[in-house]
Amino acid sequence: MPGWFFIITRSLIFLLLLFITTKILGKKQISELSFFEYVVGITIGSIAGEVVTGLESNMYHGALAICVFGFITFLVNFISIKSKKFSDLVEGKGTVVIKDGKILENNLKKEKYTIDELSALLRAKDIFRVADVEFAVLEPRGNLSALLKKENRPLTPKDLQMKMAKEKEPQTVIMDGNIMDEPLRCSGKGRGWLYTELEKQGVTLDNVFFGQVDSYGELTVDLYDDKIKVPQAAQRPLLLATLKKTQADLEIFSLSTDCDQSKAMYKKNAAILQDAIEKLAPFLNG
Amino acid sequence: MTIASNVNQCLSTIKGIEAQLSSLALNSLDEEAKAVFHETALTMAEVKKDLQYRVLELERQEPQYKGS
Repeated sequence: MPGWFFIITRSLIFLLLLFITTKILGKKQISELSFFEYVVGITIGSIAGEVVTGLESNMYHGALAICVFGFITFLVNFISIKSKKFSDLVEGKGTVVIKDGKILENNLKKEKYTIDELSALLRAKDIFRVADVEFAVLEPRGNLSALLKKENRPLTPKDLQMKMAKEKEPQTVIMDGNIMDEPLRCSGKGRGWLYTELEKQGVTLDNVFFGQVDSYGELTVDLYDDKIKVPQAAQRPLLLATLKKTQADLEIFSLSTDCDQSKAMYKKNAAILQDAIEKLAPFLNG
Repeated sequence: MTIASNVNQCLSTIKGIEAQLSSLALNSLDEEAKAVFHETALTMAEVKKDLQYRVLELERQEPQYKGS
């Protein structure tokens, strides 16, 4: 039989073998987070390459080697989950390189990093001043994780003591003009609701490429025809504006009436509305 | 436009707000949002009751403007 035939069969067999090995080992193998996965990944790859193209080598030996490497990785992962000491040994621990804004030269030397390399890693994280860093660790895989000092961290709503509404993840309910029933059920809606909602926006299901439901039950769609403009969902901001307008109206009524009793009634209700606006604002904004 | 018709208009806006809040309460996924929408819809109902009473009162005082 000709050589090319062998190459094709071997390629297919080894592709399948590699696929199965990585499936068994899981996502961890692909992420190459630790030393072990890194080495095993490279070695398995080169064994497969060697065996597929080198026709003089024995295919079964190659397959056996891949199985051994895969099995040992599996075993190591299994023991690592059980024992912290073992996982520290094989997967390595992070090394603290910056603490309290000061570089720890000894640890840096232990990892054989120069200060240039460290500052390059910091710059990759948009950090140009070492003094801004509270704490930085060199991870086992060689990347750097840095914690900025509190005053240099990006501002969050929590810092401003803003109350934010909680949000659930959006569900994709239409893909390529097809209704996805499972996400639709997750968002607590049915097909009937979806058809009504599409009709409200004046689009047909066939024309929708992509549709998502957000945490407030609002549907946003992307159409195949990009020239058609879909009205943006503005129900909630509009509702907030209406609430504010009504509150102002009630204030005006309370000022313009002569009857003391109704004046008090208007005032009371204006205050109630003001309360409601403050309560609703986080949910209705944006 | 008379005061009566202004208050009437305000009343119907309140009714609209109440309905929208109820619909949001039904459609939201987050429990906290649901609760807040529901609660405010109930307060709107109270405001609505006060205004309804006032509209009737105004119509009694100025029957010539009724229905405007």
